[in-house]
Amino acid sequence: MSTGRRRALVAAAGVVVVVTAVSAALARGGSGGTSTSATDAGPWIERAIKPAGPATPVDPERWTGPQGRTGQFVVGCDYSHSGSNDPIVHFGMAGMSHRHDFYGSVSTDEDSTPEKMAKGDTTCDKKVDDAAYWQPTLYDHDEVVEPMDLHAYYRAAPGVDPQDVEPFPFGLALIAGDMTATTPQAGDATGWTCGSRTDLHDDPPTCTPSAPLHLVLTFQDCWDGQYLDSADHRSHVAYSKGGECPTTHPVHIPQLTTSIRFPIWNGGHDLKLASGNIYSAHGDFLNAWDPAGLKREIDGCIKRGVVCDLASNREEEDLFASGPLPTKAEAEAADEANGSKADRAN
Amino acid sequence: MHTRTWRLLGAAAAFVALTTAAVGCGSDGNSSASSSTTKAESGGDGGSTITVPGDYKTIQEAVDAAKKGDLVLISEGTYKEAVDVTTPDITIRGVDRNKVILDGGFELENGIRVLDTDGVTVQNMTAKNYVSNGFFWTGSDRYHGSYLTAYRNGDYGIYAFDAYHGQLDHSLGSGSPDAGFYIGECYECDAVIDTVVSEHNGLGYSGTNSGGELYIINSTFRYNRAGVVPNSGSYELCYPGRSNTIVGNTVYDNNNDDAPAIDVALLAQGNGILIAGSINNTIERNLVYDHDRTGIAAVPFPEEDASDVVPPASELKTPCEETKDDELPAEGDVPDIVMWNATGNSIVGNDVSGSGLADLASGTIALDDKSATTADLDNCFSDNVFTSSAPADLEGLAPCEGEGNGGDFEKDGLDLLVLINEQAPAPPKDTYKSTPEPGTQENMPNAKTAPAPIFQGPEKPDVDAIKVPTKPSN
Repeated sequence: MSTGRRRALVAAAGVVVVVTAVSAALARGGSGGTSTSATDAGPWIERAIKPAGPATPVDPERWTGPQGRTGQFVVGCDYSHSGSNDPIVHFGMAGMSHRHDFYGSVSTDEDSTPEKMAKGDTTCDKKVDDAAYWQPTLYDHDEVVEPMDLHAYYRAAPGVDPQDVEPFPFGLALIAGDMTATTPQAGDATGWTCGSRTDLHDDPPTCTPSAPLHLVLTFQDCWDGQYLDSADHRSHVAYSKGGECPTTHPVHIPQLTTSIRFPIWNGGHDLKLASGNIYSAHGDFLNAWDPAGLKREIDGCIKRGVVCDLASNREEEDLFASGPLPTKAEAEAADEANGSKADRAN
Repeated sequence: MHTRTWRLLGAAAAFVALTTAAVGCGSDGNSSASSSTTKAESGGDGGSTITVPGDYKTIQEAVDAAKKGDLVLISEGTYKEAVDVTTPDITIRGVDRNKVILDGGFELENGIRVLDTDGVTVQNMTAKNYVSNGFFWTGSDRYHGSYLTAYRNGDYGIYAFDAYHGQLDHSLGSGSPDAGFYIGECYECDAVIDTVVSEHNGLGYSGTNSGGELYIINSTFRYNRAGVVPNSGSYELCYPGRSNTIVGNTVYDNNNDDAPAIDVALLAQGNGILIAGSINNTIERNLVYDHDRTGIAAVPFPEEDASDVVPPASELKTPCEETKDDELPAEGDVPDIVMWNATGNSIVGNDVSGSGLADLASGTIALDDKSATTADLDNCFSDNVFTSSAPADLEGLAPCEGEGNGGDFEKDGLDLLVLINEQAPAPPKDTYKSTPEPGTQENMPNAKTAPAPIFQGPEKPDVDAIKVPTKPSN
């Protein structure tokens, strides 16, 4: 545990601290109250997080269809490791969380700070991306499903003027989706699909080896310009509507969509998440990008409106590793056995 | 919903996967010089020369400081930079192609990346060890790459995306898991690849959803996993790939088990010119030999998680830009598998030999009674030198002029379903980091003194003058 270190830091900042889950989340700090200064990796300064606010809409307007409709950069990150830790929701408390699968920063654990992550290695192809991405572990018939990889798409949300997009502040925490949901979540923040399709489903559809199951999460693209986190981990950010950010969250940041690929295809699965049933799908992002590298990609790709990277199903590997393809008859039989997806999901 | 009866097909979801391959290993990479046609004007109002590291320590600083018409002239040395170019109408040139080295150290992403910026010429230098690409133009018109060496880069060697009016010539792309040379998402592209060498890559040339006044000529594709592979799919925009002109190339021994590879390179392995779902292409007077699978083949790309269906022929002339925001069909209205058939291709006057399965081939996979069969593809074959075809007697069945002989298109046809499972094993992801060092490459003439006109676009090549190449002596 890092309690000692955290106390010292807090004391230095002259802030009374109560060691609770909420105050633990306080420990992620930035140095400034504006988007500009917050993008600098400032000193480790304690700062109150935003109190929980009223419920905000959780329905992003997002890009669908073939890739490349707008300026973007894409980061591909291999699966790194798993653990029952969560540096956003349960900072400093090892083992307090449900099990997560981590991508990006190779060291993500309960004590992760953006500063520490930025100094370490990453599983992402862009080496300036030391951010952490994670989602609750997927189980199939109570067995852990090790994910294959994650792709992170960074774009201006539909309708947003790309020139208005500013970099995420260093240390910004985002959560897409509702981990407490037990019934289908409203909106498109989270959903399941096959391969590179962009239609989302509440229940995992039956996929195929060349277009396996993906969990797609779309994060908030409007920031309040002040807080890196909030008590409910949501109130400091919001989704844009019709290209506009609400006045309470006036700062446009890139719309991050992550797509996580699982080696799940054909029928016969019994899927659930470490956070609950399949409807509890959610994911987290803790920004530790190298600020100069992030600005370079936003300026060069999003603001100039060009496609700097694509991630298509052309990258799939080892899809035959699990054995020969099923015959048509076998595939149909598997579908029969699969039955209603909604039934299975509970 | 989502009942997929033909999932066995989609698993392979790509190209012909025929027998696995023997090793091919390359040596020199010298491009044989031939005249490259460049329509050029002398520089506009700028025209001064900025030196690196004389005037500026880094290439990036020099490029940022340059004005229209300027020449950024780089001295010998190793530059650990990833240069983003946003200054239009400039030339970036090395004084010696083999001694001006941009080195990404397997950390940096692109050697030179031109972003939404027109008229940028890059000449006479080497980019190696980049995680993504050696030289990359995106969203940029009038692009020109010349006397470039790109090797050991993690995606593509020399890469143009959503870019128009371009020319890549006298260059080498080597040791990338995707393509050594790639031009994608453009119609009409108005682009020329002339007198290049592409070797030790997953794919020698690849272009997804590109074509229209796109010429690949007088070039060598060898020791890749697969040679020249124009292709289509609705996972990216501007589908299908169409109207490429591939003439006078030397394509041999693309069976390389030691080359790095993305997944589709494994499926395409062992084929010389593989038209994978691209349509209305002209493939003439190429010399193609020694492939484990096919010399020249037209095959489908079965797309399983497609976003859209194949557009009707009436939309094929529509510029890419005008189709980007087309409304897509609802998920339920897209078939489980969208079959991008390779149709309307004209394969004429090629010299094809030494193919393990067939020198010439045309095929598809019929999903149901309504699907196109090989007879429906409208690919034509005439005046080729060859000894085997699939189906048998392809030139008799589907000549480019006159009627076919009415024979059986199913006789000795390609059985794509059977072949699809037999692909080479995937190499480790970092295979690209240890591909062969290219030999010394030809320098551009008078690099230190040659003028640097603003590139105005490629001149249409005189394709009719191109003859079938003679076999190299090595």
